[in-house]
Amino acid sequence: MFKESNIRKPLILGHKTYHDITNDIVAPIGVAPKQWKIAFTIALIVALYGVGVIFYIVGVGIGSWGLNKTVGWAWDITNFVWWVGIGHAGTLISAVLLLFRQRWRMAINRSAEAMTIFAVMMAAVFPIIHMGRVWQAYWTLPLPNQFGSLWPNFNSALMWDVFAISTYFSVSLVFWYIGLIPDFATIRDRMVKPGMKRFYSILSFGWSGRAKNWTRFEEISLVLAGIATPLVFSVHSIVSMDFATSIVPGWHTTIFPPYFVSGAIFSGFAMVQTLLLIMRKTMKLEAYIHLKHIEYMNIVIIVTGSIVGVAYLTELFISWYSGVEYESYAFINRFSGPLAWSYWCMMTCNVISPQLFWFKKLRTNLGFTFFMSIIVNIGMWFERFVIIVTSIHREYTPATWGEFKATSIDIGLFIGTIGIFFTLFLLFARYFPVLALNELKTILKTSGESYKNEQHKH
Amino acid sequence: MGMKKKYWTGIDELHGTAAAQQALTQEFTKDQTVEDFLSDGKLKDTNTGRRDFLKFMGFSVAAASLAACETPVVKSIPYVVKPEEITPGVANFYASTYYDGNDYGNILVKSREGRPIFIKGNKDFGLGGGAVSSRINSSVLGLYDNARVSKPRKQGNDINWSDLDNEVKAALQAAQSIRIVSNTIISPSTQRAINEFSAKYAGKVKHIQYDAVSYNGLSKAHDGAVPSYNFDKAKTIVSIGADFLGTWLTPNIFSTQYASTRKPEGKWMSKHFQFESSMSLSGSNADVRTPIKPSQEGMVAAALYAAVTGGSTVSVSDADAAINNAAAELKASRGESIVVAGSNDPMVQTIVKGINQALGNYANCIDANKGTNFFKGNDEEMKKLVEEMNAGSVGALIIYGCNPAYSWYEADKFMLGLQKVPCSVSFSLFADETANKCTYIAPDHHYLESWNDLSPIAGRTDLVQPIINPLHMTRYAQESLLRWADNNANYYDYLRSTYNGAYTPAMMKSDTSWHMAVHNGTFATNAVVADAPAQADAPQVVSAAAPVMAAAPLNVNDAVSYVSAIKGGQFELSLYEKVTMGNGIHANNPLLNETPDPITKVTWDNYACMAIADMTEMGLQTYIGQCDCASKVKVTVDGKSVIVPAFPTPGQKRGTISIALGYGRGAGNEEIGNAAYQTGEKGTHLTDKDGNRVPVGQNVYNLANISGNTAIYAAYNVSVEKLDETYSLATTQMHNTVMGRDSIVRETTIAAYIAEKTKAKGSATWNMAHTLAVHEDVNKDGKINIKDQKDINDFDLWREHPVEGVGHRWGLTIDLNSCIGCGSCITACHTENNVPVVGKDEVLRHRDMHWLRIDRYFSSEYNTVEETAEANKVGTIGAYRLMENPEENPKTVHMPMMCQHCNHAPCETVCPVAATVHSNEGLNNMAYNRCIGTRYCANNCPYKVRRFNWFNYVTNDKFAMVNPSQDESMRMVLNPDVTVRTRGVMEKCSMCQQRIQAGKLDAKKAGTPVADGSILTACAEACPTNAIVFGDLNDAKSTNRKRADDVRSYHSLEETGVKPNVYYMTKVRNIEETEA
Repeated sequence: MFKESNIRKPLILGHKTYHDITNDIVAPIGVAPKQWKIAFTIALIVALYGVGVIFYIVGVGIGSWGLNKTVGWAWDITNFVWWVGIGHAGTLISAVLLLFRQRWRMAINRSAEAMTIFAVMMAAVFPIIHMGRVWQAYWTLPLPNQFGSLWPNFNSALMWDVFAISTYFSVSLVFWYIGLIPDFATIRDRMVKPGMKRFYSILSFGWSGRAKNWTRFEEISLVLAGIATPLVFSVHSIVSMDFATSIVPGWHTTIFPPYFVSGAIFSGFAMVQTLLLIMRKTMKLEAYIHLKHIEYMNIVIIVTGSIVGVAYLTELFISWYSGVEYESYAFINRFSGPLAWSYWCMMTCNVISPQLFWFKKLRTNLGFTFFMSIIVNIGMWFERFVIIVTSIHREYTPATWGEFKATSIDIGLFIGTIGIFFTLFLLFARYFPVLALNELKTILKTSGESYKNEQHKH
Repeated sequence: MGMKKKYWTGIDELHGTAAAQQALTQEFTKDQTVEDFLSDGKLKDTNTGRRDFLKFMGFSVAAASLAACETPVVKSIPYVVKPEEITPGVANFYASTYYDGNDYGNILVKSREGRPIFIKGNKDFGLGGGAVSSRINSSVLGLYDNARVSKPRKQGNDINWSDLDNEVKAALQAAQSIRIVSNTIISPSTQRAINEFSAKYAGKVKHIQYDAVSYNGLSKAHDGAVPSYNFDKAKTIVSIGADFLGTWLTPNIFSTQYASTRKPEGKWMSKHFQFESSMSLSGSNADVRTPIKPSQEGMVAAALYAAVTGGSTVSVSDADAAINNAAAELKASRGESIVVAGSNDPMVQTIVKGINQALGNYANCIDANKGTNFFKGNDEEMKKLVEEMNAGSVGALIIYGCNPAYSWYEADKFMLGLQKVPCSVSFSLFADETANKCTYIAPDHHYLESWNDLSPIAGRTDLVQPIINPLHMTRYAQESLLRWADNNANYYDYLRSTYNGAYTPAMMKSDTSWHMAVHNGTFATNAVVADAPAQADAPQVVSAAAPVMAAAPLNVNDAVSYVSAIKGGQFELSLYEKVTMGNGIHANNPLLNETPDPITKVTWDNYACMAIADMTEMGLQTYIGQCDCASKVKVTVDGKSVIVPAFPTPGQKRGTISIALGYGRGAGNEEIGNAAYQTGEKGTHLTDKDGNRVPVGQNVYNLANISGNTAIYAAYNVSVEKLDETYSLATTQMHNTVMGRDSIVRETTIAAYIAEKTKAKGSATWNMAHTLAVHEDVNKDGKINIKDQKDINDFDLWREHPVEGVGHRWGLTIDLNSCIGCGSCITACHTENNVPVVGKDEVLRHRDMHWLRIDRYFSSEYNTVEETAEANKVGTIGAYRLMENPEENPKTVHMPMMCQHCNHAPCETVCPVAATVHSNEGLNNMAYNRCIGTRYCANNCPYKVRRFNWFNYVTNDKFAMVNPSQDESMRMVLNPDVTVRTRGVMEKCSMCQQRIQAGKLDAKKAGTPVADGSILTACAEACPTNAIVFGDLNDAKSTNRKRADDVRSYHSLEETGVKPNVYYMTKVRNIEETEA
């Protein structure tokens, strides 16, 4: 058996047996405490409001947003990129950390992946609904058709986006589901109510727990991790190309792919923090998700936050160094123009505040971490807003320089997607195993606190 | 004996047994029940399988639902007998003439399947080149306005024509005195009908001509007639407050003349000085513009007079230098210059006349002898009439072509007087402010439904011909007058007999000269009138040029001492006409309401133009945007006050305030058309507390005054008070300056141009081609450094579109020197391409749909960021901020901007569904049907010319009051050759694709190559100054190619590498380098 250095902090606190793990994770399934009911009701109301807003937009038109002849994208694409960015942490945690054998991921990967899937679903709402004619959205797919065999335009970054997002979504979904299968089987075996038993037995695809099942499980996990890893980088690179392949000063930037990917991981980890800090408390998972995990994630936040900071400064430098008047004006306008408040909001939230995590005291403080995770996500929303709106509201021809004012529908749709996201996440927390319990069991003997202590005694 | 054989069916029958007897009565030998007969024993054994059941059910559901679908009924009725001249799908053009008492234009009306849908200038036969302004070419909408009075009315109720005739005749006979108030009548036949009417009621009738915006001062100074001006002959033009390119007299004709003198390639280029208080269209085109106060207009004229004649010098504070320069230029071009003034004060006009006389301009440039017939309105007589009406001495009042209850400065007094008139009749097409209060409305035809003759200048007669049968039960005003004079003539016959009384009906049909005149829209010469046989019983031929009054000659010296006495207060007011709205006739035209003012770019409103410095001092909002509303101010003149929003206007003289006339129509909730009233966020009309609809803008005619017998559209002492209220103003352009981006707008001075005009394109210092440093030894000096530059066009990221030298390559060349910014192209583009009108709230949200816009840039104090930084001792950021502010008296550039049809179009690469693609003729095509509306193309367009259909403008209630395509009758104006776009698709300039296609087909039918100039886009066609030229850039001999290769030609934003098919030509100002 794999042995772990005793200097390493244990990953599972206290004395837990295999049975305890199963109990801790399976027991809450199907039980709805009051807090959950309240949270779910609120989320559902907001979600229904969001659905209403979507119907309104589809019924009336994009004119219900604040967009105009100069600013053709604003909250729609900002929200899209924001949600996609959030959807990055899950796959990174499960795939990249799996390949790097970072076993602390086991406590967080399940919910991080669930978050990814829901976030990507929310992200997908925006590029679809932002189309003037939503009902023709399928024209972006290379389907055989009667229009004289008309293909989509493969030169367009939006086209690549369709592939990138759909691939990412399907691979993430499969990866997540594969991981869930043995856990569903465990739940199935413990369920007494026939309905629930049937439900989980369908979900578990007849998992029998034989050695052959486990071998295949591990093989497919590795294969999928291999496929998913490049996707982590490709998705946001391609999203960034929506901007980078244009000729808009402030968008046309070669630095975008790495900058977007690190920004995405940055915001994704912040969102994981937000969700897990609540979940570990309410679902009493402190033994599995503890300070060590939080600290690790905070370190990822410092690193990616710093990369993002460097990227911001590089952009500024290049805009000056390029000598292109439109480019340099675009950046001067960012930090000194009419929308400078959003730039400084972004700078404060994304560059300055994560640096506080250099202090161990702060990065191991749960309350502060929670606060920071919110700040980072606000900052990352503004980053997209700054890139999109401040670049196009004043570009080449000064006669068309304009302004952007969000409408209640813009805001309503954004809040609505947050509602839908939380509705889905709360359902997940209630009916799905929130931790990868079978995977956790594999490290219990090596990284469990009591076992480590025992080994130490020998 | 016959054989009688018998056959039996069987032995039983032979024997006649009982069984056989019974069998004969039964059809069937055995009894069988129906069930037995029909039932199938096997049926019980078979069962319908699930699949079959689903199939049957599926079939039945599908069949039932298909049967429920009704095939839409398309109501198109083919011609039973096809009119010879109408071929469905082929447009006909008819020559006609537009005249509304204010604007005049010879036009060609495009008719499709019998509907007039587009108006363009009659360039072959039109007066002064047949140019049309936006006010004229959008007038086609008025025909279809469903607010038109469709039947004669008496006190708001319908009445039939014969009853109306009887009642009016009785009233006229009973009346002691009859007054006719009309706009200036320039139609000889109409004048004849009025004369006949006057003769019938001899001694009782007086005809008063009244112009909403009066030129009485000008005509008084010229013995009662407005002279005709030839701006094309003037080497020096000095205008004191006259916006001769926008609104003054016949601006469309002056524009063409003026532009012909503004060609730097020519032998000479005119120099234009403008003295005015608010930036007008003319002022924005002037080489030297000097802001003055309205009270100084007379003094500027006096100072110019003194400088030109060498009399004692007169000083006008800060305008002296400009006056001296202007005087020097005028003296240098004696006999070849024009001085005009916008003032309606005969004293000012007398001085101006004195200057022109002293310079000898009356020979060549100004023709006072062969004057125009326009603007014979007499303010004094109108004032007298109002007094008479109030005194109750007017028995009957006939109102024709004017709206004094709106436009008379004492409208209240007019209305009070009108109530005292026992019988008042209006010929108005709409139940407007005046007509609504008249006893009868006898609605006249729209001009597109009428015959008429018009004599704009002595010796020229133009014709108006109907393009469509009257849409409503209306009648010629002339016929009404004749009926009341007991003449039952048909106006067409009457009109023809004005020219030749000897015509028999048979001859009318065969007269070639008449038919030629109808075809051309004008009599080639004035021969027809002159040749009328002088028979005793011939209908009288009326000279339309008869002077209205013989004014006492005014003395220049008296005038100078008169104007010197004018003193101004702290704030002065000038009233002006907006280029888009004119005097208010077009208030219900949604298209003109949405066309931005050429200077302020504000739509759907009038406002007080104020100097930015004054506004800052008063604490008024100087940045107007979507959420930054304008501050309201209260302007008080002699106790009369008006509350208007204040708009910061560069070039406005400090201490002056200017408000546009022509707004606030329909303040009494009259039925004058939906677009005359403000609409709210939901698209419904806004109402005041009494439930009346709120008109667009404010009526400020009441701030005018009569002084010295003429209306004065200025006040020299007004008070301006800041109110704590705000009002949103919708502009189409928020930013004023070009931010030192010289690759967008290029301009130079005449001397610099002449010095380098023979250079190759791209090498003149003021129009250098863009180059890029490359890492190879381009200049072969053995070193690779910054001097190794390559032309920007040598760089290609993609394969070149094969358009150069292959087939056609359509393109535009736009001469910034000729473009005066009038906006005629905007409205032409609008009607040609069915561009939706979206209303104020949407414009406020920056969602105007103009395919073609005119970018207006004001100069900032310094040309570049570096200069600004150095002069103000600030850094780059501070310098950029300062450059956002225009100068106090800026230079202006008008830059028409439409899709540039780039050969490397950034929009084409980013569309995910290939909805916008390049044609092999250089056009950037837009396939509406394929568009899914991601708007990426619009974001990636450096010129921002793409327009998105945010809503379904054809059905959404928000646009019901403004968009013509939502109105059942107004949608008849839509061009059937152009798709009306649906919600969610992108649209933009197509370079009038439909016209190119039609032109190519014509050439193909004729078997000839497409001739240069045979295809014109709507904008190129509408341009009065030839600033926009369309053509095939692959045709080496075309004007367009030559212009594209000119040393002045450049691509806007060339360094982006998008390779447009639209070229701009550098603006050349006739100023010294030091003045630049």
